[in-house]
Amino acid sequence: MNKKGVIIGVIVIAIIAGVAASLSVPASETVNLDMGRTHGTISTAMGSPILGDPSAPITIVEFGDYQCHQCYNWFHNTKPAIFQDYIETGKANLVFVDMAFLGRDSPKAAQASYCAEEQDMYWEYHDMLYNLQESKIDGGWANTERLKAFAFSLGLDNELFESCLDSGKYSKRVQYNTQQARDHGVRGTPGFFIVGPDGQQQLGGAQPFSVFKQILDTMA
Amino acid sequence: MTSVVRLVFSNLKYLILALAIFSSMLVGLLILSEYIFLEPYVVSHIPSGTEFGFILIVTISALSALVLPMNIFRINILKKSKQKMSGGIVGSIIGAAAGACSCGPIGFAVISTFGSVGATATAFLTNYEIPIRIIAIGILAITYFTTVKSLKIECKFDPNS
Repeated sequence: MNKKGVIIGVIVIAIIAGVAASLSVPASETVNLDMGRTHGTISTAMGSPILGDPSAPITIVEFGDYQCHQCYNWFHNTKPAIFQDYIETGKANLVFVDMAFLGRDSPKAAQASYCAEEQDMYWEYHDMLYNLQESKIDGGWANTERLKAFAFSLGLDNELFESCLDSGKYSKRVQYNTQQARDHGVRGTPGFFIVGPDGQQQLGGAQPFSVFKQILDTMA
Repeated sequence: MTSVVRLVFSNLKYLILALAIFSSMLVGLLILSEYIFLEPYVVSHIPSGTEFGFILIVTISALSALVLPMNIFRINILKKSKQKMSGGIVGSIIGAAAGACSCGPIGFAVISTFGSVGATATAFLTNYEIPIRIIAIGILAITYFTTVKSLKIECKFDPNS
Protein backbone atom coordinates (compact mmCIF):
# COMPACT_ATOMS: atom_id res chain seq x y z
CA MET A 1 0.00 0.00 0.00
CA ASN A 2 2.81 2.30 0.97
CA LYS A 3 4.79 1.38 -2.16
CA LYS A 4 1.71 1.94 -4.32
CA GLY A 5 1.28 5.35 -2.79
CA VAL A 6 4.89 6.26 -3.58
CA ILE A 7 4.55 5.08 -7.20
CA ILE A 8 1.29 6.98 -7.69
CA GLY A 9 2.87 10.01 -6.07
CA VAL A 10 5.89 9.82 -8.44
CA ILE A 11 3.59 9.47 -11.46
CA VAL A 12 1.46 12.44 -10.35
CA ILE A 13 4.58 14.55 -9.76
CA ALA A 14 5.95 13.54 -13.19
CA ILE A 15 2.68 14.51 -14.88
CA ILE A 16 2.57 17.85 -13.04
CA ALA A 17 6.22 18.49 -13.93
CA GLY A 18 5.53 17.64 -17.60
CA VAL A 19 2.54 19.97 -17.76
CA ALA A 20 4.50 22.74 -16.02
CA ALA A 21 7.43 22.28 -18.36
CA SER A 22 5.23 22.46 -21.44
CA LEU A 23 3.56 25.62 -20.14
CA SER A 24 6.86 27.27 -19.31
CA VAL A 25 8.35 26.78 -22.80
CA PRO A 26 9.52 30.23 -23.87
CA ALA A 27 7.60 32.00 -26.60
CA SER A 28 10.63 31.73 -28.87
CA GLU A 29 9.83 28.09 -29.42
CA THR A 30 6.39 28.60 -30.83
CA VAL A 31 7.70 27.55 -34.25
CA ASN A 32 8.40 23.87 -34.61
CA LEU A 33 12.12 23.64 -35.20
CA ASP A 34 13.79 20.43 -36.20
CA MET A 35 16.82 20.90 -33.98
CA GLY A 36 18.66 18.06 -35.65
CA ARG A 37 18.29 19.45 -39.17
CA THR A 38 21.62 19.55 -40.95
CA HIS A 39 22.63 19.87 -44.56
CA GLY A 40 26.10 18.52 -45.14
CA THR A 41 28.22 19.86 -42.30
CA ILE A 42 25.94 22.85 -41.73
CA SER A 43 23.36 23.00 -38.98
CA THR A 44 20.35 24.62 -40.66
CA ALA A 45 18.03 23.95 -37.72
CA MET A 46 17.79 27.67 -36.95
CA GLY A 47 17.59 28.72 -40.58
CA SER A 48 14.61 29.28 -42.80
CA PRO A 49 11.94 26.74 -43.61
CA ILE A 50 12.90 24.64 -46.63
CA LEU A 51 11.88 26.17 -49.94
CA GLY A 52 10.83 23.41 -52.30
CA ASP A 53 10.63 19.67 -51.84
CA PRO A 54 12.29 18.72 -48.51
CA SER A 55 13.24 15.34 -49.97
CA ALA A 56 15.01 16.84 -52.99
CA PRO A 57 18.47 15.27 -53.44
CA ILE A 58 20.29 18.61 -53.49
CA THR A 59 20.05 21.48 -51.03
CA ILE A 60 21.30 24.98 -51.69
CA VAL A 61 22.19 26.67 -48.40
CA GLU A 62 22.34 30.44 -48.84
CA PHE A 63 24.02 32.62 -46.22
CA GLY A 64 22.72 36.13 -46.68
CA ASP A 65 22.08 39.54 -45.19
CA TYR A 66 18.92 41.48 -45.99
CA GLN A 67 20.91 44.70 -46.43
CA CYS A 68 23.47 43.20 -48.80
CA HIS A 69 23.17 44.55 -52.34
CA GLN A 70 24.93 41.52 -53.83
CA CYS A 71 22.27 39.32 -52.18
CA TYR A 72 19.73 41.58 -53.85
CA ASN A 73 21.50 41.02 -57.19
CA TRP A 74 21.48 37.25 -56.69
CA PHE A 75 17.85 37.28 -55.61
CA HIS A 76 16.81 39.14 -58.76
CA ASN A 77 19.24 37.81 -61.36
CA THR A 78 20.07 34.20 -60.45
CA LYS A 79 17.49 32.86 -58.02
CA PRO A 80 14.47 33.03 -60.38
CA ALA A 81 16.14 30.65 -62.88
CA ILE A 82 17.25 28.28 -60.09
CA PHE A 83 13.74 28.31 -58.68
CA GLN A 84 12.19 27.55 -62.04
CA ASP A 85 14.64 24.88 -63.19
CA TYR A 86 15.60 23.12 -59.97
CA ILE A 87 13.35 23.99 -57.02
CA GLU A 88 9.97 23.85 -58.72
CA THR A 89 10.95 20.63 -60.47
CA GLY A 90 11.97 18.96 -57.19
CA LYS A 91 15.61 18.57 -58.18
CA ALA A 92 16.81 20.84 -55.39
CA ASN A 93 15.58 22.81 -52.42
CA LEU A 94 16.85 25.95 -50.72
CA VAL A 95 17.48 27.02 -47.14
CA PHE A 96 18.31 30.61 -46.21
CA VAL A 97 20.56 31.06 -43.21
CA ASP A 98 21.18 34.55 -41.87
CA MET A 99 24.60 36.09 -41.87
CA ALA A 100 23.49 39.42 -40.46
CA PHE A 101 26.68 41.46 -40.21
CA LEU A 102 26.38 44.52 -42.42
CA GLY A 103 24.64 47.01 -40.12
CA ARG A 104 22.45 47.45 -37.08
CA ASP A 105 19.25 46.87 -39.07
CA SER A 106 20.46 43.54 -40.48
CA PRO A 107 19.82 41.37 -37.37
CA LYS A 108 16.46 43.07 -36.84
CA ALA A 109 15.38 42.30 -40.41
CA ALA A 110 16.43 38.67 -39.95
CA GLN A 111 14.47 38.45 -36.69
CA ALA A 112 11.44 39.93 -38.44
CA SER A 113 11.54 37.14 -41.01
CA TYR A 114 11.16 34.59 -38.19
CA CYS A 115 8.29 36.57 -36.71
CA ALA A 116 6.66 36.20 -40.13
CA GLU A 117 7.44 32.47 -40.02
CA GLU A 118 5.28 32.21 -36.90
CA GLN A 119 2.40 33.13 -39.19
CA ASP A 120 3.57 30.80 -41.97
CA MET A 121 4.71 33.71 -44.12
CA TYR A 122 8.49 33.37 -43.93
CA TRP A 123 9.20 33.22 -47.65
CA GLU A 124 6.66 35.91 -48.51
CA TYR A 125 8.33 38.23 -45.98
CA HIS A 126 11.82 37.21 -47.14
CA ASP A 127 10.90 38.01 -50.75
CA MET A 128 9.37 41.30 -49.73
CA LEU A 129 12.57 42.39 -47.97
CA TYR A 130 14.64 41.66 -51.07
CA ASN A 131 12.11 43.28 -53.36
CA LEU A 132 11.99 46.44 -51.28
CA GLN A 133 15.67 46.63 -50.38
CA GLU A 134 17.11 50.12 -50.73
CA SER A 135 20.72 50.81 -51.57
CA LYS A 136 21.71 52.47 -48.29
CA ILE A 137 22.85 50.22 -45.44
CA ASP A 138 21.14 51.35 -42.21
CA GLY A 139 19.45 54.06 -44.24
CA GLY A 140 16.14 53.40 -42.47
CA TRP A 141 14.47 51.14 -45.03
CA ALA A 142 14.79 48.13 -42.67
CA ASN A 143 14.29 49.83 -39.31
CA THR A 144 11.77 48.44 -36.84
CA GLU A 145 8.92 50.65 -38.02
CA ARG A 146 9.42 49.74 -41.67
CA LEU A 147 9.70 46.04 -40.80
CA LYS A 148 6.34 46.29 -39.04
CA ALA A 149 4.88 48.15 -42.00
CA PHE A 150 6.04 45.37 -44.36
CA ALA A 151 4.25 42.83 -42.14
CA PHE A 152 1.13 44.95 -42.24
CA SER A 153 1.18 45.16 -46.03
CA LEU A 154 1.55 41.37 -46.22
CA GLY A 155 -1.60 41.02 -44.14
CA LEU A 156 0.08 39.49 -41.09
CA ASP A 157 -1.47 39.71 -37.64
CA ASN A 158 0.03 43.04 -36.63
CA GLU A 159 -0.26 42.69 -32.89
CA LEU A 160 1.37 39.28 -32.93
CA PHE A 161 4.14 40.40 -35.28
CA GLU A 162 4.92 43.57 -33.36
CA SER A 163 5.07 41.84 -29.99
CA CYS A 164 7.33 39.20 -31.53
CA LEU A 165 9.69 41.75 -33.07
CA ASP A 166 9.76 44.00 -30.00
CA SER A 167 10.55 41.07 -27.72
CA GLY A 168 13.73 40.30 -29.65
CA LYS A 169 13.07 36.62 -29.06
CA TYR A 170 14.77 35.51 -32.26
CA SER A 171 17.99 37.42 -31.68
CA LYS A 172 19.80 34.28 -30.45
CA ARG A 173 18.54 32.36 -33.49
CA VAL A 174 20.03 34.97 -35.82
CA GLN A 175 23.29 35.01 -33.83
CA TYR A 176 23.47 31.23 -34.07
CA ASN A 177 23.00 31.37 -37.83
CA THR A 178 25.65 34.06 -38.23
CA GLN A 179 28.03 31.93 -36.16
CA GLN A 180 27.29 28.96 -38.45
CA ALA A 181 28.39 31.09 -41.39
CA ARG A 182 31.63 32.08 -39.65
CA ASP A 183 32.31 28.50 -38.56
CA HIS A 184 32.00 27.35 -42.17
CA GLY A 185 34.38 29.95 -43.52
CA VAL A 186 31.81 32.16 -45.21
CA ARG A 187 33.59 35.47 -45.79
CA GLY A 188 30.89 37.60 -47.32
CA THR A 189 27.34 37.52 -48.54
CA PRO A 190 25.78 35.88 -50.36
CA GLY A 191 27.67 32.66 -49.63
CA PHE A 192 26.44 29.26 -50.71
CA PHE A 193 26.90 25.61 -49.96
CA ILE A 194 25.46 23.23 -52.50
CA VAL A 195 24.91 19.99 -50.67
CA GLY A 196 24.41 16.87 -52.77
CA PRO A 197 24.33 13.15 -52.11
CA ASP A 198 28.10 12.88 -52.55
CA GLY A 199 29.31 15.97 -50.79
CA GLN A 200 29.09 19.73 -50.67
CA GLN A 201 30.61 22.59 -52.61
CA GLN A 202 31.12 26.13 -51.39
CA LEU A 203 30.43 29.13 -53.62
CA GLY A 204 31.13 32.76 -52.80
CA GLY A 205 29.30 35.79 -54.12
CA ALA A 206 26.35 36.53 -56.35
CA GLN A 207 27.48 34.16 -59.08
CA PRO A 208 25.46 33.79 -62.28
CA PHE A 209 23.02 30.99 -63.01
CA SER A 210 25.46 29.25 -65.37
CA VAL A 211 27.79 28.45 -62.43
CA PHE A 212 24.97 27.04 -60.30
CA LYS A 213 23.66 25.04 -63.25
CA GLN A 214 27.06 23.48 -63.87
CA ILE A 215 27.43 22.43 -60.23
CA LEU A 216 23.83 21.29 -59.78
CA ASP A 217 23.92 19.23 -62.99
CA THR A 218 27.12 17.46 -61.98
CA MET A 219 25.66 16.68 -58.54
CA ALA A 220 22.34 15.37 -59.82
CA MET B 1 46.28 67.67 -76.01
CA THR B 2 46.38 64.49 -78.07
CA SER B 3 49.91 65.42 -79.14
CA VAL B 4 51.06 65.42 -75.52
CA VAL B 5 49.47 62.01 -75.00
CA ARG B 6 51.14 60.78 -78.20
CA LEU B 7 54.48 62.16 -77.00
CA VAL B 8 54.29 60.25 -73.73
CA PHE B 9 52.98 56.99 -75.11
CA SER B 10 55.30 56.94 -78.13
CA ASN B 11 57.76 55.60 -75.58
CA LEU B 12 57.04 51.86 -75.35
CA LYS B 13 57.92 51.81 -71.64
CA TYR B 14 55.01 54.15 -70.79
CA LEU B 15 52.65 52.34 -73.12
CA ILE B 16 53.38 49.03 -71.39
CA LEU B 17 53.00 50.70 -68.00
CA ALA B 18 49.60 52.12 -69.04
CA LEU B 19 48.41 48.74 -70.27
CA ALA B 20 49.60 47.08 -67.04
CA ILE B 21 47.83 49.68 -64.88
CA PHE B 22 44.63 49.45 -66.93
CA SER B 23 44.42 45.68 -67.00
CA SER B 24 45.37 45.14 -63.35
CA MET B 25 43.00 47.85 -62.08
CA LEU B 26 40.17 46.70 -64.31
CA VAL B 27 40.45 43.02 -63.43
CA GLY B 28 41.05 43.78 -59.73
CA LEU B 29 38.06 46.09 -59.44
CA LEU B 30 35.81 43.78 -61.45
CA ILE B 31 36.71 40.91 -59.10
CA LEU B 32 36.12 43.04 -55.99
CA SER B 33 32.78 44.25 -57.34
CA GLU B 34 31.77 40.70 -58.31
CA TYR B 35 31.65 41.19 -62.06
CA ILE B 36 34.31 38.49 -62.37
CA PHE B 37 34.53 35.29 -60.34
CA LEU B 38 37.59 33.06 -60.25
CA GLU B 39 36.14 30.12 -58.31
CA PRO B 40 34.97 27.49 -58.98
CA TYR B 41 35.12 28.61 -62.62
CA VAL B 42 36.41 31.79 -64.20
CA VAL B 43 33.25 33.57 -65.22
CA SER B 44 32.21 37.16 -65.85
CA HIS B 45 28.79 38.71 -65.92
CA ILE B 46 27.10 42.09 -65.59
CA PRO B 47 23.93 41.69 -63.52
CA SER B 48 21.08 43.89 -64.68
CA GLY B 49 20.99 47.15 -62.77
CA THR B 50 24.77 47.26 -62.29
CA GLU B 51 25.73 48.49 -65.76
CA PHE B 52 26.51 52.03 -64.57
CA GLY B 53 28.87 50.73 -61.89
CA PHE B 54 30.65 48.70 -64.57
CA ILE B 55 31.07 51.77 -66.79
CA LEU B 56 32.52 53.76 -63.85
CA ILE B 57 35.06 51.00 -63.14
CA VAL B 58 36.19 50.97 -66.78
CA THR B 59 36.45 54.79 -66.74
CA ILE B 60 38.51 54.86 -63.51
CA SER B 61 40.85 52.18 -64.85
CA ALA B 62 41.29 53.99 -68.17
CA LEU B 63 41.90 57.38 -66.56
CA SER B 64 44.37 55.87 -64.06
CA ALA B 65 46.20 54.20 -66.93
CA LEU B 66 46.37 57.56 -68.70
CA VAL B 67 47.26 59.83 -65.79
CA LEU B 68 49.78 57.77 -63.82
CA PRO B 69 52.24 57.08 -66.70
CA MET B 70 52.00 60.73 -67.80
CA ASN B 71 52.99 61.86 -64.34
CA ILE B 72 55.81 59.31 -64.15
CA PHE B 73 56.99 60.63 -67.55
CA ARG B 74 56.87 64.16 -66.19
CA ILE B 75 58.88 63.21 -63.10
CA ASN B 76 61.43 61.15 -65.05
CA ILE B 77 61.95 63.43 -68.00
CA LEU B 78 61.58 66.83 -66.42
CA LYS B 79 62.68 65.87 -62.87
CA LYS B 80 59.73 67.88 -61.58
CA SER B 81 57.96 67.60 -58.25
CA LYS B 82 55.74 64.67 -57.47
CA GLN B 83 52.81 66.88 -56.50
CA LYS B 84 50.63 66.11 -59.52
CA MET B 85 51.41 62.43 -59.22
CA SER B 86 49.60 62.35 -55.88
CA GLY B 87 46.37 63.51 -57.56
CA GLY B 88 46.42 60.47 -59.83
CA ILE B 89 47.22 58.07 -57.01
CA VAL B 90 44.57 59.55 -54.70
CA GLY B 91 41.97 59.37 -57.47
CA SER B 92 42.84 55.77 -58.24
CA ILE B 93 42.78 54.69 -54.59
CA ILE B 94 39.47 56.44 -53.85
CA GLY B 95 37.91 54.89 -56.94
CA ALA B 96 39.16 51.44 -55.99
CA ALA B 97 38.12 51.68 -52.33
CA ALA B 98 34.53 52.57 -53.17
CA GLY B 99 33.70 49.19 -54.57
CA ALA B 100 35.95 47.10 -52.37
CA CYS B 101 33.93 47.45 -49.20
CA SER B 102 30.47 45.97 -49.13
CA CYS B 103 29.13 42.49 -48.53
CA GLY B 104 32.28 40.90 -49.96
CA PRO B 105 35.31 39.44 -48.21
CA ILE B 106 37.02 42.82 -47.71
CA GLY B 107 33.96 44.35 -46.08
CA PHE B 108 33.58 41.26 -43.92
CA ALA B 109 37.24 41.41 -42.87
CA VAL B 110 37.02 45.13 -42.04
CA ILE B 111 33.83 44.65 -39.98
CA SER B 112 35.23 41.59 -38.21
CA THR B 113 38.45 43.43 -37.34
CA PHE B 114 37.18 46.88 -36.46
CA GLY B 115 33.66 46.13 -35.22
CA SER B 116 31.12 48.93 -35.34
CA VAL B 117 33.68 51.47 -36.60
CA GLY B 118 34.47 49.13 -39.50
CA ALA B 119 30.78 48.58 -40.12
CA THR B 120 30.18 52.34 -40.29
CA ALA B 121 33.11 52.81 -42.67
CA THR B 122 32.06 50.00 -45.01
CA ALA B 123 28.44 51.16 -44.90
CA PHE B 124 29.60 54.66 -45.95
CA LEU B 125 31.73 53.30 -48.81
CA THR B 126 28.88 51.08 -49.98
CA ASN B 127 26.11 53.67 -49.63
CA TYR B 128 28.06 56.27 -51.56
CA GLU B 129 29.84 53.93 -53.96
CA ILE B 130 28.64 55.66 -57.13
CA PRO B 131 29.22 59.28 -55.95
CA ILE B 132 32.66 58.31 -54.59
CA ARG B 133 33.60 56.78 -57.93
CA ILE B 134 32.36 59.88 -59.75
CA ILE B 135 34.51 62.04 -57.42
CA ALA B 136 37.49 59.77 -58.17
CA ILE B 137 36.87 60.22 -61.89
CA GLY B 138 36.70 63.98 -61.31
CA ILE B 139 40.05 63.97 -59.46
CA LEU B 140 41.65 61.88 -62.21
CA ALA B 141 40.22 64.14 -64.94
CA ILE B 142 41.50 67.28 -63.22
CA THR B 143 44.91 65.63 -62.74
CA TYR B 144 44.92 64.69 -66.43
CA PHE B 145 44.21 68.23 -67.63
CA THR B 146 46.70 69.85 -65.25
CA THR B 147 49.35 67.31 -66.26
CA VAL B 148 48.78 67.95 -69.96
CA LYS B 149 48.90 71.70 -69.37
CA SER B 150 52.04 71.36 -67.32
CA LEU B 151 53.74 69.15 -69.93
CA LYS B 152 52.82 71.61 -72.67
CA ILE B 153 54.42 74.47 -70.78
CA GLU B 154 57.37 72.63 -69.31
CA CYS B 155 58.26 70.86 -72.57
CA LYS B 156 57.57 74.01 -74.54
CA PHE B 157 55.53 71.73 -76.68
CA ASP B 158 54.45 73.08 -80.05
CA PRO B 159 51.49 71.11 -81.38
CA ASN B 160 52.14 72.39 -84.94
CA SER B 161 55.68 71.10 -85.03
